Amino acid sequence: MAKVFIFPATSLILSDMVERWGHEALGAATGIRERIQTPSLDSPPLQMTPEDPKKGLKYAAVEVPCGVRGRMALYGPLIEEADAAIIINDADLSFGCMGCARTNELVLYMIRQQKGLPILDITYPKTDDEGVAFVTQIKEFLTGLEGDKNE
Amino acid sequence: MSAKEYIPTYVGTITKYVFIDSPNVTPQTLAIRAYEISEGLMIKETCFGLQVTGDPETVKNLITELRTVDPAHIFVKDRGFPPGDPRRCRANLGGARPGYYGHEFESGLFRYISHGLMELEKNAAPTVTPLGKKRLDEGKLPLNKLIEIINNEEAQ
Amino acid sequence: MNEQPVRVAQLSCGPEHSGVQKEIYDAAAAVNAEMFFPDVTLADIRRSYDAFGLEVRSGDLKLAIARAMALVEQKVDADAVFIATCFRCAEAAIVRTELRRYIQGNSDLPVVSYSFTERTTSGTLLTRMEALTTIARRRALLAREKQKGTTMGIDSGSATTKAIIMQDDKIIGTGWLPTTEVINSANGVIEEALKEAGLEMADIEAVGTTGYGRYLIGNDMKADLIQEELTVNSKGAVYLADRQHGEATVIDIGGMDNKAISVLDGIPGTFTMGGICAGASGRFLELTAKRIGVDITELGPIAMKGNSKIVPMNSYCIVFGTQSLVNALAEGSSKEDVAAAACRSVAEQVFEQQLQEVDIKEPVIMVGGTSLIEGLVHEMGELLQTEILVPHHSQYIGAVGSALLASGFIEEK
Repeated sequence: MAKVFIFPATSLILSDMVERWGHEALGAATGIRERIQTPSLDSPPLQMTPEDPKKGLKYAAVEVPCGVRGRMALYGPLIEEADAAIIINDADLSFGCMGCARTNELVLYMIRQQKGLPILDITYPKTDDEGVAFVTQIKEFLTGLEGDKNE
Repeated sequence: MSAKEYIPTYVGTITKYVFIDSPNVTPQTLAIRAYEISEGLMIKETCFGLQVTGDPETVKNLITELRTVDPAHIFVKDRGFPPGDPRRCRANLGGARPGYYGHEFESGLFRYISHGLMELEKNAAPTVTPLGKKRLDEGKLPLNKLIEIINNEEAQ
Repeated sequence: MNEQPVRVAQLSCGPEHSGVQKEIYDAAAAVNAEMFFPDVTLADIRRSYDAFGLEVRSGDLKLAIARAMALVEQKVDADAVFIATCFRCAEAAIVRTELRRYIQGNSDLPVVSYSFTERTTSGTLLTRMEALTTIARRRALLAREKQKGTTMGIDSGSATTKAIIMQDDKIIGTGWLPTTEVINSANGVIEEALKEAGLEMADIEAVGTTGYGRYLIGNDMKADLIQEELTVNSKGAVYLADRQHGEATVIDIGGMDNKAISVLDGIPGTFTMGGICAGASGRFLELTAKRIGVDITELGPIAMKGNSKIVPMNSYCIVFGTQSLVNALAEGSSKEDVAAAACRSVAEQVFEQQLQEVDIKEPVIMVGGTSLIEGLVHEMGELLQTEILVPHHSQYIGAVGSALLASGFIEEK
């Protein structure tokens, strides 16, 4: 079983695809669950505290807005932990938890900077034929993945 | 304002959304099936399907079993919050939580995914045109082509 | 409090991921307000994005635009709007400013916009939230244009404490002291004001307090009105300047922070409050006066004789500002030029850091103790390209506003 970082990190379809074919999806839910289930100072809604933007300094300089650094504190460790990544390009991100365009740019760059990380670049399907291509490509990619790099 | 301690609940559990978008199976049918095999898991019915919460292994088994009901029309998503959490509840926030729009958008694409999954059932390795990342210069007119056009225009 | 909570619509990007959302909730709860997120659909987001026409890329900002349009189009009810985005984000700053303008120009909703960092606390947000809820909750009270009966207003500021006694729409007593121990300073100015008015405490029919010490003094005196300085000062400013109708902008450069408030018919609309460093406040001018060896009251006239553009000075940071001050004097610059440069520097800081968050509408009224420093008023006028009004008793602005508004409580007694 490989850990696969998904982008958008909130994608329902990618979360499904990765787990459908026997791997573990690393996305927003992974990071949020960890925070929601850890005792700390009360900080609704995401249990993200001012410590998160500080942790985010590992990924972005201090002059980068706190929201970007906070989000990087959520996604950065997941990218580092990942054995592979699936990226949906040109996504209509008019929505969702991936709310910050600057974070998205940095997340994508960071994924591509990981040495030897298998990456599948794909787009959302807009037709039935593209639907076939979408699932076929993802299945092929996931089938070819080896297990946990730390095992 | 003094810092309040946060004591988490549902520690060690996972929560999954189960979306059903099927011509043959209703969310109710799916829920009944889920209750039959629930093994003490917490199951919450929603308009789109279910939310299942419990220890990771049991949830995983239930999901595997549920998928068999209609593999091409059931979609499962990981969730960070336990079900009905007031921090994410629409009634408390006044509006939908941000992730809702992502679901709304992606559920609009279910039909293409379902089609793909059904085709994959029939043919395990279909020939497809890959969907990839667009290069920045893709679709742009190459320079030598432009020169050629200009030259042709001038020759006329 | 039995009042209904004020419903404040939140338009934001970033607070949930910066640990700031809880601070927003806490500040709102402290003034009996509740934050909510206007409900829109994905179709609304797309439609609003196209209709609004600002092509931002961040999803949360697109959502904020859609929510703002839902408020303006009255598809969602709210009493006030709070716009918050990350400090240093250019994309969000554009959206924040444009949404504020859009809401202000197309609805009656009071708006406050704020850019936060992970260090932003509920304490910082409290005065802003209090002002926002006051505007929403007390429109009737804020509509008062004349003072009635005999009332007292006390302004317990970070640098000075002021008292004013008013009777039948006229100021009849004043008190002014540096703030030391909050209650003692208040008692001192009350005594001064009563003496000047020839009255006793028993003659006072209603009392209002404002400023940093407002709760301490207000509770001690059982004041009728305890109110933050944003609404009180803007009310006091348009009252004293006799500009109660139409638009106006009130600037108050204080001892610790600065306020810029845009006012319509005497009721504040948008406002900013802050000051990154004392280098953008009255403190820096006090320090300048001390350095050149004059009383703060003489600084203004001296500055008027100097040229503000000769000595380079940037008081973005009070330490650097002081360095330029010391260097200039050491290099033989005249105290007139140094005083003028200090005034210009403070005006520039306020202009760059705060006036960008409100739309400047004429007349511009300057109030507070620093409005008596004519060099500062002159430099601000130069920067804004307008003639600035400084009303009489401008240094007593908070106390006057409090006394005026407190008279609204006489009928209730």
